Amino acid sequence: MELSGTPQKTVTAREAGLVACTRCTRAWPLGTDVCGRCGATLVSRDAMSLQKVWALWVMGLMCYVPANMYTMLRTQQLFDVNESTIVGGAVELVHHGAFGVAAIILIASVLIPLGKFWAIAFLAISVRSHTGFTSQRRLLMYEVVEYIGRWSMIDIFVVAILSALVQLHGLVSITPGPAAFFFALSVIFTMLSAQAFDPRMIWDAQLNDDEAPEHV
Amino acid sequence: MSDTPPPVSIQSTRKIGVSGASLIWIIPVIALLAAFGVAWQSYSARGPLIIVSFADGSGIAAGETKLKYRDVEVGEVEEVGFSDDLAVVQAHIRLKKSIAPFVDANSVFWIVQPEVTAQGITGLSTVLSGVYIEGSWDSDIDQFADTFRGSEVAPLIKPGESGLQIAFRTTANGSLTDNAPILFRGIQVGQVGRAQIARSGAFAITEGLIFEEHRHLINSSTRFWDTSGFEVSIGPAGAEVDFSSLATLVGGGITFDTFVSGGETVRDGEVFEVYEEKEQARNSLFTASEVDPLQLSVIFDENVSGLTVGAPVELSGLRIGTVDSLSGIVDFNQFGDSRVRLNVILSVQPARLGLPGEVSAGTALSLLQDRVANGLRARLASASLLTGGLKVELIEVEDAPLARMTISALDLPIVPTTKSETSDAAATVEGVFTRINNLPIEDLLNSAINVMNSADALISNNDLQETPADVRALLSDLSGIVGSDEVKNIPVALNATLMRVEGLVAELEKQRIAETLGKTLTAAAEAADAVTSSVAGVPELIEDIQTVAAKAATLEFDTLIQELTSLTSSAEALVSSPDTAQLPVALKGALDQLNATLQELREGGAVENVNQTLASARNAADSIAISARDLPEVISRLNGLFVQAGRTIEGYNKGDQLSRAAEAALRDIQQAAGALEKLARTIERNPNSLLLGR
Repeated sequence: MELSGTPQKTVTAREAGLVACTRCTRAWPLGTDVCGRCGATLVSRDAMSLQKVWALWVMGLMCYVPANMYTMLRTQQLFDVNESTIVGGAVELVHHGAFGVAAIILIASVLIPLGKFWAIAFLAISVRSHTGFTSQRRLLMYEVVEYIGRWSMIDIFVVAILSALVQLHGLVSITPGPAAFFFALSVIFTMLSAQAFDPRMIWDAQLNDDEAPEHV
Repeated sequence: MSDTPPPVSIQSTRKIGVSGASLIWIIPVIALLAAFGVAWQSYSARGPLIIVSFADGSGIAAGETKLKYRDVEVGEVEEVGFSDDLAVVQAHIRLKKSIAPFVDANSVFWIVQPEVTAQGITGLSTVLSGVYIEGSWDSDIDQFADTFRGSEVAPLIKPGESGLQIAFRTTANGSLTDNAPILFRGIQVGQVGRAQIARSGAFAITEGLIFEEHRHLINSSTRFWDTSGFEVSIGPAGAEVDFSSLATLVGGGITFDTFVSGGETVRDGEVFEVYEEKEQARNSLFTASEVDPLQLSVIFDENVSGLTVGAPVELSGLRIGTVDSLSGIVDFNQFGDSRVRLNVILSVQPARLGLPGEVSAGTALSLLQDRVANGLRARLASASLLTGGLKVELIEVEDAPLARMTISALDLPIVPTTKSETSDAAATVEGVFTRINNLPIEDLLNSAINVMNSADALISNNDLQETPADVRALLSDLSGIVGSDEVKNIPVALNATLMRVEGLVAELEKQRIAETLGKTLTAAAEAADAVTSSVAGVPELIEDIQTVAAKAATLEFDTLIQELTSLTSSAEALVSSPDTAQLPVALKGALDQLNATLQELREGGAVENVNQTLASARNAADSIAISARDLPEVISRLNGLFVQAGRTIEGYNKGDQLSRAAEAALRDIQQAAGALEKLARTIERNPNSLLLGR
């Protein structure tokens, strides 16, 4: 086939006059409305994809703000109540010399969510305008974001497990603060935002990139 | 796959305007609205911010310390800072909106923290929870104020609280316990606030609160006194420590009583004096209101120890003041030598002098000056027997050398002095004890025991015990003789004989038998003689007479008559003979003799002696008992003395009547001592008197 070897130019399904079912991955001729195999609605490009991405992205970011402002963990130790935010807790750990744990918290709760926001925004923007990244790299980025998204919940898991386990009434008890709720929402919304992204658009952008030099 | 793909209708992915907007945007919009809604709600629900300044933070923490009203949280400290000049700590408190309207300029705020006082522990809950700020305000909505000065301690009278609000003032030189409970019959009915010293420094003043339910206990004749501390009295019954309660012992307290009825209702703001003692409080009701005391100076030549500050100053036994200060004084110019003299400054209360008209120090001074001119002098006198304490007496001395009041270097009038009258009472008491010790009580008891032993031996003597039995036997013998038929028949027989003789005489007169009768009569006379000699011979006489009568018929009549007449006269003589008449008399005499013997036995003889001995012994015992009874009396008198002395000690600060009581006590003790002395002297002079009871 002419597509074998090292292709100079990626041919998208749409260019090939096809539309793939996103659920069962069966390819149908362009114009087919419903997948004949699984019954899913067939769309070559999700027109609302970017809007969904941005809307959910904004929601995620909005939730991320209180998640960092409010207390994540409320530790009660024999009349001494300690309330700590995510960053505050990490800083406290650093003060106590627990650099490793502080690093994990910072990476899982700050670095990764912020990186996700950046990555999703970048992908959404790159669909529209030229960026220095190739389509393959952007696809890789998308896949990483989607994969890593669920792991952001590790913070919530820790909080949930701690509050469930450490409930020695009067002596020590740990309860989640309001930040946990917002953090969970933030993670959920960024995951939804990442899922709402239609990765096929990456290739449209590449098409534009490829076409652009020809026109210029 | 076809070579030519079918024509595709390509729709633009970009839609312009709202129509192209996805419904997904609703989610962030809703979230935004919700966030704004929540923000608005919390903003509109939050109350105003007030600033309360404290001298120190004492545990206030932003975001943690609560503001409470009646122990309910009504706000929270949002920020703790300093005033611009760092003078005070400012707590910014966010009030609850619902409570904010009540917080007006009259509100008070204070920090509640654990506090351990004599009355107990307060604010214990704050040990765990941390301090909190308590606010208090009334229930009226008023102009809102936002800057307050926090008070150091919880205010005694909180706004909006009811109760009788009065003020307490100490007496001059008195003391006051602040923050103390006001107790009545052991129950707290009020509280005293923090005391302050009046500007003049003469007294302390504090506010007090009587709880609403006890308001009726107070009226204008109520008197308050301090129950702080404890009282120690040492007497013959041992030492006695008296205090009303442990709390008042440590922390003090005030109590009160209404000694007289008829007081008027008290309104808020009334000022009461707090006396130091109950007696003082009671006396204050009856003495005239006191005015500024008059200060006098007295200089004593002799240095007599025992005079202390606070010792009474008495005028004719009436306490009119106290000793204010003692110091030595050396004034060559005034006294002519450099001896150290005792300079005593007296504080005399003019109100006690009973001055007519205006009562002031000036009038009192002029009165005293007048009296000094008439011989009023100061002297030291014993105030207490036990402690040897002294008091200052103002007495009028007759024929005193002329003297006037002079003014000392300290501008105090000096009262001239006279010879002190200090008796060494302790020595006298000691003497009494010595005499009691010297009484020969043991010898006395030994003698008494000996007497008792002798009496016992005498009574238990067998001879003595048998005496009554002998007497009884003798009596029964006598009654046997007296009651015997023979003796009883004597008078009857005699009578019968006489009858017959009369009949015989009458017959003889007729028959004139004389001659034979003469012999017979002679025989009869002899028989009669025999009869006189023996009582037992009477029946024989009768027989003889019968024989005579039988023979008479044969006798010559004249002779017979003659003989018969002599017989009759003999019989008469027999009957009327003193011996016969005295027979019952003799018997009676014998009985009397017996009686006399018995009486003698009873009265004069051994019985009497025994009785006397016993009586003497009893008297001796009585005497001993009296002596023994006197001893407790002595002791009880001494007890009285101690009690009186103790009261006298107490009386240093008490009213005038106590001083008089002390004098009375002195007299009592003197009497007791005199009585003891007399007793001792009597016993010494006549130890037998104890035995004889005379």
